[in-house]
Amino acid sequence: MSILMLSIGFGLVTASVLAIAGVGLSLQFGVTNFVNFAYGDYATLGAYIALVANEHGLNIYVSMLIAGIVVAIFSALVNRLVFKRFIDKRVKLVILLVVTIGVSLVIEYALQSIFGAQFQSYTITSPTPMQIGPFLLTTGQIAIIGIAVLCMVGVHLMLSRTRVGKAMRAMSDNPALAEASGIDTLRITDLTWLVVGFLAGIAGVVLAMNTSTFTPLLGSFFLMLLFAVVILGGIGKPYGAMLGALVIGVVTEVAGAYINAAYQDAIAFLIMILLLLLRPQGLFSSRGRA
Amino acid sequence: MLYLASLLPLAAIYGILVIGLNVQCGVTGILNFTYITFVAIGAYVTGVLTMGAPANAQTYILGAHLPFLVALVIGGLAAAALGAVVSFTVLRRLRSDYLAIVTIGAGQIVYTIIGNETGVFNGWNGIFGIPVPVSMSLSPIMQQLAFGGITILILAAVFFAAQRIQYSPLGRVLRAIRDDEGVTEAYGRDTFRMKLLAFLIGCFVAGIGGGLLGEYATAYAPSAFLPGETFILWAALLIGGVANNWGALLGALIVPIGFAEVTRFLPDFGNPTLIESLRGVAIGLLIILAPAFLPKGLIRERLAKDRAQSRVTAPTEEETSHA
Repeated sequence: MSILMLSIGFGLVTASVLAIAGVGLSLQFGVTNFVNFAYGDYATLGAYIALVANEHGLNIYVSMLIAGIVVAIFSALVNRLVFKRFIDKRVKLVILLVVTIGVSLVIEYALQSIFGAQFQSYTITSPTPMQIGPFLLTTGQIAIIGIAVLCMVGVHLMLSRTRVGKAMRAMSDNPALAEASGIDTLRITDLTWLVVGFLAGIAGVVLAMNTSTFTPLLGSFFLMLLFAVVILGGIGKPYGAMLGALVIGVVTEVAGAYINAAYQDAIAFLIMILLLLLRPQGLFSSRGRA
Repeated sequence: MLYLASLLPLAAIYGILVIGLNVQCGVTGILNFTYITFVAIGAYVTGVLTMGAPANAQTYILGAHLPFLVALVIGGLAAAALGAVVSFTVLRRLRSDYLAIVTIGAGQIVYTIIGNETGVFNGWNGIFGIPVPVSMSLSPIMQQLAFGGITILILAAVFFAAQRIQYSPLGRVLRAIRDDEGVTEAYGRDTFRMKLLAFLIGCFVAGIGGGLLGEYATAYAPSAFLPGETFILWAALLIGGVANNWGALLGALIVPIGFAEVTRFLPDFGNPTLIESLRGVAIGLLIILAPAFLPKGLIRERLAKDRAQSRVTAPTEEETSHA
């Protein structure tokens, strides 16, 4: 078993976690046209909701589904109660960004005041490593990859086969034109926040499963990796985010295995900064939005 | 009494830090979400330059016994030097959300390197034993008051310089860049150079404030410059008043000092981090509510027309410069 193959295997798992959350972040940016700095904390919220469900004896996958649904509703509510008010007042983008940071702090520290800062973990049946092709993965890790595939297929079908998905893509391309064409942008925005919150909630639980222990800071570190993913794929482009997740997931795990695991995230940020300098429209995208 | 005296230097230091942030973000509109990283560089460099050769099982570079003011200035310059490196990404004409992401990413890289490379600034343990630039023969209260006096003098210098910059022709261009960069450029201003200047000045001030903060705490470690610290300063700026140095001072008194003051006297209850956590929730709420209910902060920006009204007899800066 070579270190390279092992780390590529872990890279695929990391990529799966990043893809679920990255697609959500990118979709939301595309439709609403601002970055939500609280997104990582939506994932943390999902991880803690699943923790509560899990501690009440529910299976981790059922808990994950509950977390997804609760965070979906939470995400739509935050948009209606906070972000929408500022957008309606046409505040500057800078102010909106700072407000999302405020939401991030509130979620993070509210979780910390309820659960404390100590490490938490789920009760999952002990992992059994399995040999699959050249990779060595636990059942939990295989499940994470499976969930990611399900989410990607789901998002793809929604964007390509449903009217709502088509409307989301229209709003992402040109919000004014979308509205003029009779799209109920308010409803589509609400639906987007629901979908995005659901993905964030699921991502938070699989992230917590993958790291095995977590604290209220889980999402804020994760968010920076997500930015690398989303920028790599071209911000606002869900399909780009899937590819970006694959690149960042595999590159950070492989680099971590050969250089120093402590520098995994730093490498992702470096890739992101270089990319923004050289190709701000994203690696896989033809035209920029920056 | 000692506690009250110890608040004096802290208040002055936070005043310096918020004014530096104001030059970058309030006046020029550069979205720096990793301001605390520049504070940290100032604290580390000033620290090692006054601590002498590494001892007490610490490892760090640059160990020297420089006079405190020299070390402080070098700390500020070091922060500005890092600012120059970061500026190549930060000052590009990217959308402000990209800039915010890049600054946080750059901050995380610096944080990871300083934490993991134990040879640079003693890694995650941080440096400790930074000497306070006042005589040790004084009583603890007098030490705090003396250091408070030094910090207030430096705050006064920083405040005066910031006022001069803000209400000079340079300040006018900086505010114009914030309000509409395209138009400013169309009027023939080299906006990149102006933004670079404002950014470097802000980083220098951050470094000075950081150097003083390290001396105040006598230690500095990576846990002191987590991203959350930057937003405490942002909250102070938003509450006090964006693009107004008096507002920045007021914000520094209300948010970091006021909160530390109020929460220190709360009885301990619940889990050990509860009070700290609730403080975090409150700062988050402040950041959300301030732009909603106090969009201009407690002391709002002085616009050209206000100054024109307050000096009806004398010609205003604007009129003289157009003549």
